[in-house]
Amino acid sequence: MTLSPYKTPSGYLLPSIHAAPPFFTKQPNPITQATQTEHWSRLILTYARHRRLFSLRVEDADVAGGEWDEIFRNERINRRLLSPHLEYILSQMVIKNQAVYDPPKQTKSVLLFWRTPEEWAEVLHEWASTTGQLNTILTFYEIIEPSVPSPLAGIPISILRKAINILGKTGRAQIIAVADGEGVRFLPSGGK
Amino acid sequence: MHRLGGVGIAAFERQQQSQRSFASLSSEISQAQVDLLHAQLDQFRTALVRFASTHRDSIRRDPHFRHAFQQMCAKIGVDPLAGPRKGGWWAEILNLGDWQYELGVQIVDVCVSTRERNGGLIEMGELVRMVSKLRGVSGGAITEDDVVRSIKTLKPLGAGYEVLDVGGGRKMVRSVPKQLDEDQAVVLSIAHQEGGRVSEEILVSRRNWSHERARAALENMLLRDGLCWLDEQDETSPDGIAYWVPSAMHWDE
Repeated sequence: MTLSPYKTPSGYLLPSIHAAPPFFTKQPNPITQATQTEHWSRLILTYARHRRLFSLRVEDADVAGGEWDEIFRNERINRRLLSPHLEYILSQMVIKNQAVYDPPKQTKSVLLFWRTPEEWAEVLHEWASTTGQLNTILTFYEIIEPSVPSPLAGIPISILRKAINILGKTGRAQIIAVADGEGVRFLPSGGK
Repeated sequence: MHRLGGVGIAAFERQQQSQRSFASLSSEISQAQVDLLHAQLDQFRTALVRFASTHRDSIRRDPHFRHAFQQMCAKIGVDPLAGPRKGGWWAEILNLGDWQYELGVQIVDVCVSTRERNGGLIEMGELVRMVSKLRGVSGGAITEDDVVRSIKTLKPLGAGYEVLDVGGGRKMVRSVPKQLDEDQAVVLSIAHQEGGRVSEEILVSRRNWSHERARAALENMLLRDGLCWLDEQDETSPDGIAYWVPSAMHWDE
């Protein structure tokens, strides 16, 4: 039996370890478990990036037909990731700052950082700059649901806010209160 | 690497060894005969050195030639790596010492990097494939034979590198000091026949083991030694449990 990478219908390349039946069982040996968790974390983050999925709930492993089926189920070997195992994996990702519990104070649902907030800050500023929107006031809504495709489309508000706060620390963004919500003004970098 | 107890010509290089040998020889043959033997060996060594430097490139590049050369050395009792100098006096002529050393480092590299997945046990074919990938095209082909020889030189490191025969012509390389007990060797052998999957039921039915013995062997490999992974969604086992040995599975990376 040869274990090979496999390309999913959505164009994602699953690594060979995903074709190994025991990959879908939480390993009792701590060293093996660490390796396994590392593989699953990487899988989850890169898949989320590929599909632009920002949030993940533990029940996404149990309910078929959702967005995550391509990685949480492997029909070819009749295996699937069980939700208690996913809950454990998520807890490890939160510890490593690859995800954050959202809403806070529960452990069943996370936001995924397939870009760190710092990386999002750069992407955000870059976008504002190249689309000629520096020094104008934008509402959060306009950023999250732009009329033209953008790298920020669909981004959760909490991640957007984090990114803006990071830019604020270097004087590259200011939060402005607007009539019906929150807005932001992006400023040029460097102040040179 | 300095080798104790070298054979053939190498043994005569070392003073103490020589003295012991001469002491035992002199009781049986005369000094004149000993001198003659010495002279002939010297002549032989000169010829061998000339041969080696003429064919140095072929030995490094071509695994078949290399294999034939090493077979010849073994037949006449010459160890290409033996001798008082680092890597043996062959090293200066062949630079085989460097070549061997480089291969040894690459083997260790692959073993260490796959250890978390397979617990320090890797199938020979997979090891050769991965080392070949490391070497690239310019490294020249290497064979299982080369790897086995190289692992012998790693023994003095005391890190436990060893080649294991699991039956059916298949070999594994162990890179951790932990000895495989006999029951584990049986489990490994079965895993190889079954594409990596072992279960209590297979061990009981095929080897007449008791359930307790099967469970103990598998649990030790799993929990104590990290040599296999647990599968709780197995379709065939009555309790849904099976064990998978990564080193017995074929990974196409």
